[in-house]
Amino acid sequence: MMFTRPFGFELAGHWAEACDLLRRHGEGAKVIAGGQSLMPLVNLGLVQPDVVIDISRAAGGRHVSLAEGFLTVGALITHANLAADSLAAGTQPLLGAAAGKIGNARVRGRGTLGGSLAHGDPAAELPLAMVALGAAYEITDGHRSREVKAEEFHLGYLTTALAPDELVVAARVPRLGPGWGWSFQEVSRRDGDFALAAAAALVRIAGGVIVESRVAVGGVSDRPVRLADVEISLTGATVSQIGGRLGPIQGIRPVSDTSASAGYRARLCRVLVARALAEASSRSEEAA
Amino acid sequence: MSAEARITLTVNGREISRTAGAHLTLLRWLRDVAGVTDPKYGCGEGICGSCTVLVDGQPVSACLVLAAQVDGATVTTAAGLLEADGSLGPLQQAFHEKHAAQCGFCTPGMLMAAAAALADGRRRSRQEIREELHGNLCRCTGYAPIVDAIEMAQELRWPQAGR
Repeated sequence: MMFTRPFGFELAGHWAEACDLLRRHGEGAKVIAGGQSLMPLVNLGLVQPDVVIDISRAAGGRHVSLAEGFLTVGALITHANLAADSLAAGTQPLLGAAAGKIGNARVRGRGTLGGSLAHGDPAAELPLAMVALGAAYEITDGHRSREVKAEEFHLGYLTTALAPDELVVAARVPRLGPGWGWSFQEVSRRDGDFALAAAAALVRIAGGVIVESRVAVGGVSDRPVRLADVEISLTGATVSQIGGRLGPIQGIRPVSDTSASAGYRARLCRVLVARALAEASSRSEEAA
Repeated sequence: MSAEARITLTVNGREISRTAGAHLTLLRWLRDVAGVTDPKYGCGEGICGSCTVLVDGQPVSACLVLAAQVDGATVTTAAGLLEADGSLGPLQQAFHEKHAAQCGFCTPGMLMAAAAALADGRRRSRQEIREELHGNLCRCTGYAPIVDAIEMAQELRWPQAGR
């Protein structure tokens, strides 16, 4: 709807100020950064905030840094900048690949990492990549910081572990050792549309067999799901054995909607997991 | 907290300063407050691209940004592609000659997506041009002449580039 109910506007200069504003305004307050998830909901009348707190001009939070075995990515980095970041590409290429698949150039130019994580869409690319990579999010209420694992942060459809006065400040991604290959696969009805299903895989091959893997899927449950059973079943497999070891994907709960049936999503999910594993394996073999 | 905001934007080279509702999107601010009506409201979700404008040179969906968030910025809409003497710029000229508009609703957004894509001066293939237009929908489905026009605009503007 073009004509939204009027709301107030607050500009936060830094994280702590934004958290204070959240406490002061209570339930009717929404935080905006890039606005690429919030504003569609506002335009469609699905969210009617009393006040919007803008953190897009807040100081800091746009960095990518590598220290103590972790790649740290600030929450205000845009998808376009994450996709183009050379440090991220050199150490954790899955992240940039996932960011590059989001929406269109306009969405990637304004949308932020923190916005995508805090919005918690189950089909979103970055939460899926973070779950696959075993990342944790740094969260603040302006006074205290805490860290929450990606797998424990995403609780359900548009639902996260954030308290009403908390913000995601950064994501911390454990660095992988040498020899890993990666892949990010998704299928949507139109380029840039929500993924019907998506899969992220990380594979390390040594001596011709898979010795370690990480697999997660998105768009097929109310949150991104790590597939521990698949990872266990793949250990010791050669690349040509992957297909045989991959049964129907367990632990997902796809839904039927106007875009696809639950059954189609489940089958697509298995196809994308297989493709992701194949591509990640070949990248691992190239790296070795 | 302010329900109203005084916002100043430089739109197509002209500084415009207005006080209006702080909840207005950049698109509503441009159309309803500043009277700049070339960007169009299509989907409200950032999918259709008909509201595409450049904010400090970057393409954005004007329906997904609050005007208050970009206070002080430089905004370019399709009308800003005119030459200084008021004649059509290369993209506009090419859209005109290649009949790249049918109903015309998507055209201002197509022009700005193309302007953003061509800003680096690199010559693009037809396939690359199509990829640049992923976020812009034409419901008359007249995509082929739009791609023709952008190819032609590359020739008009940078006849030597990439050769």
